[in-house]
Amino acid sequence: MSLREVLTPFTAWKHVLDAPVTIPDPIGREAAERYRGFHQNDMETCIGCGTCEAICQNGAIDMVPVEGQVTEKGDSGLRPMIDYGRCCWCALCVDVCMTGSLTMSNEYTWVDTDPDAFRFIPGLEEPWKDKEAGYRREGGRELSGTKRSHMGELAPALRGDNFSEICAGFTREEAILEADRCVECGLCVATCPAHMSIPDYIAAVRDQDYDRGLQLLYETNPFSEVCGRICTHKCETSCAALHEGDPIAIRWLKRHIIDNVPMERRLELVGGAKPANGHRVAIVGAGPGGLTAAYDLAREGCAVTVFEALAAPGGMMRYGIPEYRLPYDALDRDVAVIQAMGVEIRCNMRVGRDIALDDLKRDHDAVILAIGLQMGRGTRIPGSEGPGVEKAVDLLRRITAGEDVPVPERVVVIGGGNVAFDIARSMARLQKATHGTVGVTLTALEDRAHFLADAEELIEGAEEGVEIIDKRGPQEVMRDASGAVTGLRSWAVTSIFDDQGRFAPAYDQADERVHEGAMVIEAIGQMADVSLLGAELTEALDWNRGRIAIDAGFRTSEPWLFAVGDAVKGPDVINAVADGHRVAQSVMERVSLQEGIS
Amino acid sequence: MRDLHANLKTRHALGPFEPRRANLGFVTVPAERLRGLLTELRDVHGFTHLVLLTAVDWMEDGLFQLTYLMNDRAGDRTLGVRVMLNRDEAVGEDMHDLWPTAATYQRELKEMFGIDFPGSPRVDEEFILEGWTDLPPYRRDFDSLAYSQQTYAERPGRVTHDPRAHMKSKLYPEG
Ligand SMILES: Cc1cc2nc3c(=O)[nH]c(=O)nc-3n(C[C@H](O)[C@H](O)[C@H](O)COP(=O)(O)OP(=O)(O)OC[C@H]3O[C@@H](n4cnc5c(N)ncnc54)[C@H](O)[C@@H]3O)c2cc1C
Repeated sequence: MSLREVLTPFTAWKHVLDAPVTIPDPIGREAAERYRGFHQNDMETCIGCGTCEAICQNGAIDMVPVEGQVTEKGDSGLRPMIDYGRCCWCALCVDVCMTGSLTMSNEYTWVDTDPDAFRFIPGLEEPWKDKEAGYRREGGRELSGTKRSHMGELAPALRGDNFSEICAGFTREEAILEADRCVECGLCVATCPAHMSIPDYIAAVRDQDYDRGLQLLYETNPFSEVCGRICTHKCETSCAALHEGDPIAIRWLKRHIIDNVPMERRLELVGGAKPANGHRVAIVGAGPGGLTAAYDLAREGCAVTVFEALAAPGGMMRYGIPEYRLPYDALDRDVAVIQAMGVEIRCNMRVGRDIALDDLKRDHDAVILAIGLQMGRGTRIPGSEGPGVEKAVDLLRRITAGEDVPVPERVVVIGGGNVAFDIARSMARLQKATHGTVGVTLTALEDRAHFLADAEELIEGAEEGVEIIDKRGPQEVMRDASGAVTGLRSWAVTSIFDDQGRFAPAYDQADERVHEGAMVIEAIGQMADVSLLGAELTEALDWNRGRIAIDAGFRTSEPWLFAVGDAVKGPDVINAVADGHRVAQSVMERVSLQEGIS
Repeated sequence: MRDLHANLKTRHALGPFEPRRANLGFVTVPAERLRGLLTELRDVHGFTHLVLLTAVDWMEDGLFQLTYLMNDRAGDRTLGVRVMLNRDEAVGEDMHDLWPTAATYQRELKEMFGIDFPGSPRVDEEFILEGWTDLPPYRRDFDSLAYSQQTYAERPGRVTHDPRAHMKSKLYPEG
């Protein structure tokens, strides 16, 4: 501190005997209409994202828990507390606010003898809480953009007869623009089942540090290339940006990182496994649940063998999700990294047929069931047994396997979920390639506004020529004298659930239609094939509503047996990944315990 | 206003006219033409009043922008005259002989942006920042947050919470 700095304050003493110039009771004059006075915060609109704190150049804002504000999806439950000892009323916090909850009244006088009173949480008790006059930002949020960056897509005319990937992924320029919109609040992280470090990897895109981005992805998700394309991306429903614009395209930014790191570099960055620890783990099923567990356990030094019934690994990522959404080579790269950790995947090995579960139990310290839901559910309507009626998952599997599937000129799909659209759009492509025209009718119980499928499936499906008919309940598969399928008879749906909210569709029988088609495809759900367990184990295990019962650590009631993925929980890849990590942890606990005993 | 622009354009090497409202517009002029333009506006076209003189820091472009907002009271029109200065050796031309109030603005710009106006009365004296030793605070490379953290004491008892970490502790403490 210089001498001058020490002395400067004392120059004020020369005024000590002057008459005061301050007015003891300010005249009570109303400030201008848009004056930047004391803060207001609409507690219900505020999501506690802390962007106000991040932008404050005076360090005047703390995010604090407030009684009555609940921490939940998309809301941290925290609220800003402002220190008026530091605030300079610049209003940057108001301008940047993601929801518009933070504003300023035009109130500007506040007298208190307690200096701590001037640290306060706007929105609680202050007298100017509901005052209309004051500063609020005009129009929408401008400091962080509200529109999603453009991404290239195959036009309908170019994709209708082939399985080429539709989405091109962001270019670097597009990705940086999109990453720039993220305020890094991290509200999304709680919603992601795997709690990926979303704000950090988005920052890596902005900084153009793809190596760091990739390492962040691999901390929580060995299926980032897959998830960067087909994740159900619930994270985006908790994004602070969606309150006044498009949510950040988190999924596409993840994909962008992976797309920008060559395979050799990826292997280098991920690094190798720990030295062998002598434990052996068997996993049944090479879907995302089983392979994520395999990855973690192999990295810990376990010898991991995955037994897979089908010819190639990936589970529903390969045999369910169509190639136009997830190309096989993208999946192959994720799997290759897992194999590079030393995981052995033995394909064409159906446990219960090619090898017994008991053998796995005998030769390993633990066994994880990750068998998914491989069997399609049937409608059981008259006529649905017999040739010409297919289950969506069976057909999708055969299409992936390259088998010849029948491609009639007209096909009817029953179901309004994503699986229904996957098969409808796959069949449309095959029809277009075979006959030059599309003849797919998709019927669903729900009305359009309540379809279970994602909104873009309806849009893209329609673009590709799929006829989507809502509110139809299937009644009978029609067959001609020779038994060949001719169509589906349906009734109009009047309601789907009864007064108690139970599934009980009601119909208007007078509104009957026949949807013409030589094939009817049922896409109304899947179930697990648990025949591999055998009678004795089936009897011994605890069950929960038809599923193998598990605890929070994915342990079954048999100490050597664990279960994960769609077969016990679901419903998507990212949940399978998250739970794959958890089951691996439980297995590690068990094998370490065994080590202690022996 | 457009007529005025057309009239002055060639003689003063003006940039394109940027209208904002019927009676408000902006124009950019090379630094060496500034005095001539301002004098003509004042003496010939009725822009007798200097409303304000202010600056913008275009840090990425290495430029400071000065804006002389001039008002023609009788004609009820306002013209903003802009001039771009090199940010590294930021020197503007002293205009206090045209308007005495310019000296005050120039003193402020010296203090807040570090733009010098040689010859301007008291330009090197402190304006409102007493004992300022840091970068001029309106320069965009001045780190306001770091400055306030270093300069002002933290009121005891302050605690903040990171939203992401807080949500973890509440919603998924096990990880
Ligand atoms: C058509 C379709 C589209 C989907 N689209 C998406 C999407 O876009 N995004 C998303 O996140 N999720 C999607 N899902 C869901 C997602 O694929 C699953 O949630 C996920 O694959 C479940 O992983 P899992 O490891 O539990 O099982 P699965 O992926 O089903 O893998 C189980 C594996 O176990 C094998 N197996 C079964 N029994 C045996 C046995 N006895 N012996 C040996 N191996 C056996 C199977 O062959 C299979 O490979 C979709 C599902 C389907 C059906």
